[in-house]
Amino acid sequence: MVQHGFYNFLNWFDERAWYPLGRIVGGTVYPGLMLTSGAIHHVLHSLNIPVHIRDICVFLAPVFSGLTAISTYFLTKELWSPGAGLFAASFIAIVPGYISRSVAGSYDNEGIAIFALQMTYFLWVKAVKTGSVFWASMTALSYFYMVSAWGGYVFIINLIPLHVFALLLMGRYSARVYTAYSTFFILGLLFSMQIPFVGFQPVRTSEHMASAGVFVLLNAIGAIKYIQALISKSDLKALFLTVAAGAAGAVFLGVVGLTYLGVIAPWSGRFYSLWDTGYAKIHIPIIASVSEHQPTTWFSFFFDLHILVGTFPVGLWYCIKSINDERVFVVLYALSAVYFAGVMVRLMLTLTPVVCILAGIAFSRLFELYLKDEDPKTPIDEADSEGDDAAEAIAGRKLYDKAGKMRRMRHEQPSEPTSLGANIRMVSIVATVMMLMMFAVHCTWVTSNAYSSPSIVLASYGNDGSRQILDDFREAYYWLSQNTADDARVMSWWDYGYQIAGMANRTTLVDNNTWNNSHIALVGKAMSSNESAAYEVMKALDVDYVLVIFGGVIGYSGDDINKFLWMVRIAEGEHPKDIRESDFFTERGEFRVDEEGTPTLLNCLMYKLSYYRFGELKLDYRSPAGLDRTRQAVIGNKNFELTYLEEAYTTEHWLVRIYKCVKSNLNVVWRPVYFIIALFCRVKKENEFNRPRIPVANRVIKGNRLFVSKKVRILSYTNEQEFLNAFYL
Amino acid sequence: MSHTRLLFLSFVIVVAGSAQADLVNKNVETVVDISSQLAKISNKVTVENVGKTTLKSLIFGVPAHLKERTSFVTAKVGEHLLRVTETKLSGQDGGFWKVDLRSDLAAGRTLQLNIDLVLSRALVPHPGQITQKEKQLVLFEGNVYFYSPYLTEKQSLTVNLGTNSVESYARIQPVSQSDNKLNYGPYEKVPPFQEERLNIHYENNSPFLTITRLERLIEVSHWGNIAVEETVDIEHQGATLKGSFSRYEYQRESQSGISSVKSFRTALPASAVDVYYRDDIGNISTSHMRVLSDSVELELRPRFPLFGGWKTHYTLGYNVPSYEYLFNQGDVFVLKMRLMDHVFDDMYIEHLITKIILPEGCHSIELTAPYAVERLKDTLHHTYLDTKGRPVISVSKRQLVENHIDDFELRYNFAKVLMIQEPLLVITAFFALFVLVIIYVRLDFSISEEEEHSRVDREHKDK
Repeated sequence: MVQHGFYNFLNWFDERAWYPLGRIVGGTVYPGLMLTSGAIHHVLHSLNIPVHIRDICVFLAPVFSGLTAISTYFLTKELWSPGAGLFAASFIAIVPGYISRSVAGSYDNEGIAIFALQMTYFLWVKAVKTGSVFWASMTALSYFYMVSAWGGYVFIINLIPLHVFALLLMGRYSARVYTAYSTFFILGLLFSMQIPFVGFQPVRTSEHMASAGVFVLLNAIGAIKYIQALISKSDLKALFLTVAAGAAGAVFLGVVGLTYLGVIAPWSGRFYSLWDTGYAKIHIPIIASVSEHQPTTWFSFFFDLHILVGTFPVGLWYCIKSINDERVFVVLYALSAVYFAGVMVRLMLTLTPVVCILAGIAFSRLFELYLKDEDPKTPIDEADSEGDDAAEAIAGRKLYDKAGKMRRMRHEQPSEPTSLGANIRMVSIVATVMMLMMFAVHCTWVTSNAYSSPSIVLASYGNDGSRQILDDFREAYYWLSQNTADDARVMSWWDYGYQIAGMANRTTLVDNNTWNNSHIALVGKAMSSNESAAYEVMKALDVDYVLVIFGGVIGYSGDDINKFLWMVRIAEGEHPKDIRESDFFTERGEFRVDEEGTPTLLNCLMYKLSYYRFGELKLDYRSPAGLDRTRQAVIGNKNFELTYLEEAYTTEHWLVRIYKCVKSNLNVVWRPVYFIIALFCRVKKENEFNRPRIPVANRVIKGNRLFVSKKVRILSYTNEQEFLNAFYL
Repeated sequence: MSHTRLLFLSFVIVVAGSAQADLVNKNVETVVDISSQLAKISNKVTVENVGKTTLKSLIFGVPAHLKERTSFVTAKVGEHLLRVTETKLSGQDGGFWKVDLRSDLAAGRTLQLNIDLVLSRALVPHPGQITQKEKQLVLFEGNVYFYSPYLTEKQSLTVNLGTNSVESYARIQPVSQSDNKLNYGPYEKVPPFQEERLNIHYENNSPFLTITRLERLIEVSHWGNIAVEETVDIEHQGATLKGSFSRYEYQRESQSGISSVKSFRTALPASAVDVYYRDDIGNISTSHMRVLSDSVELELRPRFPLFGGWKTHYTLGYNVPSYEYLFNQGDVFVLKMRLMDHVFDDMYIEHLITKIILPEGCHSIELTAPYAVERLKDTLHHTYLDTKGRPVISVSKRQLVENHIDDFELRYNFAKVLMIQEPLLVITAFFALFVLVIIYVRLDFSISEEEEHSRVDREHKDK
């Protein structure tokens, strides 16, 4: 983008990804991230500060997390008090759940999206509070930025209407809400449709219909309120009921009708999977295969949020106890975010800010109660009565001493813990501070251990504490970039698509933007068939190199053999005749690579590529040859030769193995045939009901973390493609 | 210009023609070292002036097939370097050089001088493709005799192979092989321009690494620092790898892939600090640095072993203090640095580009190069806090070997007052910013008054 300008970026057709289909980049990404970094790059360069676009990309996330902390402060300040805001801002600054997305190098949509989210909420709260068109327009602008940055904008466009709806139900309708929402809705809708990738979705998909419905309802109520001034009360009641029911019914029927007619798209598969956690497993294996889309465990809740998990309900309770318009919002935000975070690990990210806000409120309230009395510690004995709370002191001074004292006695017991002894107060403060300190320690620990190590470089520690670096991924990618033809096509599982495109700069067949399921299934089919059948597929796909990840030598558990069942499953979904999952399990239903494994498995391409010549390798003197460390088994099929492929490169620790496809001239005949088949498949797929044209929200899937332990999460370069987009365009 | 050169050439030819008869190579001892990827030829020549006139120069050369491959030529008398200029002889298609003698060679006198040549790309892998198991065999095609326009009375030749496995060698009697050496000669009465191919086919597993392009960037700061950054493209130009690469064999058998290159050593100046070694995708974690007394030695390991035909690319950078290289008298500065530096032993550079970035405001720049280089167009470089950009001097040269490591001198004028320009710029910018903030805070820009706004709000609420 930096090199070619903005409009070329929007029209960019990337023929190096999804070979041979290609991918229209401008229309299939959220451009916010690239635009932001491009803009920063442009500004810096016009000031003669020659910062490389790569460095901007690396430091974008930390910079934006700083901005997130500031916007969190403002949001909390609007909701509660500046003190709570400070707490919330400092929480979000260190909480692991957010750090995971904001470490330097995580060039990611989420990084800037959370900032946009918090900013939008802050501006919205401000708009509701003041009822000014200015703030509402600012909200819409911020929403526009959010839409351009992340698919999670759907969360905003549902939460804000929900807030308005809740306010209406609670009878808190006011001109301020009316002004704020009408302005926001209309501007936001228009803005969001400016993003090429979003296009007409806001008016055509069910996800956005709630906002339109609320808009209609709000206008109906507004009209009634206006009429209220003109007609009598009893008439109004009847009118109100009919109009309200009529409006709601009409909207609902309208939406259903339009959905039925096909004008409005039904909910996408991923949206369903939010409600029914089992849905994805049955219908969309590719979504289920990503560990980020698994339901969250308690462990990860605690791991990412620590004590905030315990304290945020307290803040929630405070908000409910002294409710007002904007606190309704944060309550709704909290409840919905908790639910979604429970469904999917990934959505932990949306939960984190609200947890910080509420925990900030809880802590600031707690300290308010316990520290306020720190100064009047001496005046607690009756001697002087002036000390206390300012308001009370004024009230007390008006009456005489006696009355003041009496009033306090009565009033203190139930509500304020000022009657507690100084020691107890001290103890609880110290305990809280200790808890906060432990939280800080935990955050530091998590950050340094889990989120700071780039997954592309694996580090292991020897017995003497020395660090060994396994740089095999980069070794292989760099080998590809330097020693293969510039237009070489590399087949690998989709997890590595972006990495290959980004680091090796070679054409990939499938990548992390999993928009075409059938194409991925074809790669899965090639991997899970035997060599000659796979060769036919590879020939059709015009593959030059095949790349597999093999962890058997160093015991890396995130390798392709462990992911293999997903490949089989996805392939089976599209090619049930050729691939059957049951063929890969032994009679006892086990998936094993040793001698008892099924012949289908022992002869499939993935197996052969992973274990080629591994049967001869002795890892140490005691173990037998061909012992796979990851699976602790001696492999079943040892001495085999490859007919159609030859080993091109294997990295030092055998982590990445690259094979070259020995070609024949049949390609020329096969390619057009395949093209037609592929196109036909695509057309067919799109007509099928509810087949993921991959779901709108969160289209960019992160690396497969299913078998990757927490320590080696693929963090640093998860979005290489995005990185590249900015880099080359 | 070309006209004068033509004149000069014809003059040289005349001189050469006349010199032909006057000089005789009394004794030539040649040592050819082909144990690395370069062929280093050193001739110890004793010449005698048999004519009647005093001579100021003499001429030597290489046969036509070696002309393009000669990268470096020197001539010395004792320890004194002599001026060597390329020249042509009519009717001869070989390459010739004219040596200007320091003192005139009177009639009947003899002089002993050392003439060294370095040939690059003279060793051709044969066969050109080998599998991982095989050893690399190369073919050297040199010349047996000292190629000279004069009569050579006596010559002997020693070829240093660095190995004793020789497939074949030219049998020009008398010749004998001992250990890792081939001894030719002595030959008597070799006529001028005598050519006889010295073909040697032997095993050579030394690194055949070629630096296809080296871009050296020197950024001078008058605040005491010089930053050097070298961007290197390396290719293994030995016999290319045939068939597959097997990591298993590479790890198990020490003989497997013997001609491949795992790592090499780079020597940096002793004062080099903040060394970095990286490529497009980040830091390369496999390198070691050792600080020696007279240099900093880096053991660089590319991300992958380099087999024949494989390439890699990296960037190496470091800082050196400027007091060692930058000298001044008043406003006149002289920068004295190496035009190129060591990358690995017996290296060969196909194309070198050196760029020198001087501080903003330098003028009347003069470059003195140690040998002929092509000066590229000067450009401007914009970096932090620059207003009009820094002058960039670029030079380019092809076919270089280790012997080309030499200092250039860059003389320029720079007013020292300009050094405080950048701090001033920052101070002014911040000052302006603070002033703006002060003005903003002190003045009220709102159109309506706050109270009114909230009153309206309250009315809404009351409704």
